[in-house]
Amino acid sequence: MTGEGKEAAVTHLAYLDAGSGSLIVQAVVGGVAGVAVAAKLYWRRLVARFRRQPTDQG
Amino acid sequence: MAFPDTTGLRADPGSFRDPGNRVFHRAGEVLRGLDERSARDWRALAASDFFRDLLATRQVCGTEELFPTPVDVPWAAVLRHERIPFVSHPYEWSYGMLRDAALLHLEVLRAALAAGFTTKDGSAYNVQWRGARPVFIDVGSFEAARDGEPWAGYRQFCQTLLYPLLVQAHLGLDFQPFLRARVDGIEPDQMRRLFGGARRWRAGVLTHVHLHGAMQDRNAGDSTSTVRAQLRAAGYSRELALAAVRGLTKLVRRLHHRPGDSHWSDYQRTCAYSVPDRQAKEHFVDRAMAATGPGRALDLGANDGRYARIAARHADHVVAVEQDPAVVDALYRALRDEGEERILPLVMDLADPSPGGGWRGVERAAFADRARADAVLALAVVHHLAIGRNVPLPEVLDQLVTLTVAGGSLVVEFVHPEDPMARRLLANKPDGLFPDYRREVFESLLAARGRVVGRTDLPSGTRTLYQVVVGG
Repeated sequence: MTGEGKEAAVTHLAYLDAGSGSLIVQAVVGGVAGVAVAAKLYWRRLVARFRRQPTDQG
Repeated sequence: MAFPDTTGLRADPGSFRDPGNRVFHRAGEVLRGLDERSARDWRALAASDFFRDLLATRQVCGTEELFPTPVDVPWAAVLRHERIPFVSHPYEWSYGMLRDAALLHLEVLRAALAAGFTTKDGSAYNVQWRGARPVFIDVGSFEAARDGEPWAGYRQFCQTLLYPLLVQAHLGLDFQPFLRARVDGIEPDQMRRLFGGARRWRAGVLTHVHLHGAMQDRNAGDSTSTVRAQLRAAGYSRELALAAVRGLTKLVRRLHHRPGDSHWSDYQRTCAYSVPDRQAKEHFVDRAMAATGPGRALDLGANDGRYARIAARHADHVVAVEQDPAVVDALYRALRDEGEERILPLVMDLADPSPGGGWRGVERAAFADRARADAVLALAVVHHLAIGRNVPLPEVLDQLVTLTVAGGSLVVEFVHPEDPMARRLLANKPDGLFPDYRREVFESLLAARGRVVGRTDLPSGTRTLYQVVVGG
């Protein structure tokens, strides 16, 4: 994620707490293509965790 | 409140959750103040074709911007809304009403998404009624959609619309008490407990309840802005958002609730009325309503809506209140199919009317604070309250009079203790419990509360109708 994207996300915060899990589950209810998006999201999180680990330990 | 009294503005106590725009009342008008950002959203919306279409089909309440913007208010823009005749709450709706409200919300969202807009929330309270026709009222909810972001209102939609529908359609439980008890609706975690075992395989439950609840638990530590960015990076698109709306629409359409026979759903057929009694009653109500010419008429204990329809011949709009959800649902479906836009059917127990709810108990106004009417019909209800529910007779009349504006008409039926219906109710109570339930007592109580301008005994001889001008 770029710094710019982060800022945009913050300034566009809605008044309503959409719920993090509620956002992800919407991908799944959107059919096969949506499941693929959710899978990609989880895959990226997994990869990011492994990549981060050496730095965390060091 | 931030305004000096001279503006005459009264903030709507139910409109504060979105700081960017707020509904006000002034001199009988419904106004919405917008801050700079909301004003920009509104102008983009006003210029869009989809919004023009929603206004033209009357799916969204009539809205126009005031030009020039009033200088005595601290807003960047001010909108004026069409007045909704009677504000009701989702826990006063029948199953079919909640279902149609959900479908309207989804249709409005679909049209918005297709045009590059979205709604900020997904609450059942975004919908109100013109008679039996739902209307989307939260014009302040529209904003430009951001690419790659799911609908922010989905959770609220689940909690206040989809879950109550699932509870009723799959479990056969009335949804109204759930919504009345919790202004924000039913939480996914509570739903998971209700839908354990084989029930998890019912339509919509696995994804919208169990997966939704599990995802909430697992992502509780992540902020929504982080998750939005992750979803965008993973390729979430507007097409997926539209597919989710299509899926939800299909699910809601599949949800059906077939109520079993309730005591009241057969009432008109099995009750003690003879044809001459009914005709005399209809004639009396028609004449009383014609003489009153009410703006709003309130029919308490409306049953199949026979007298609400007669009232509607002479009133601008009628609110028809009935305790049995199945009866209200049948009435709603009939009115909807007729395209009726002046009779609003509502579910409510007169001995337990909607209290104030939400923040400070005023965010959702109590029934008594909304329902005052120029004409009140209380036909065949007094004995149910006085005998069936043990409410003292003077208090029953006090309540009816309170609901009638000064100078308005109360049309009330007294069922004599000798009447078969009254005898049936009395048979379930100890002897001598209601010594004051007599016609003479009833008449003296009426005379103390208004001017009796009409009275007729029904041909059966055990029921009497009165027209009382309250405070007159």
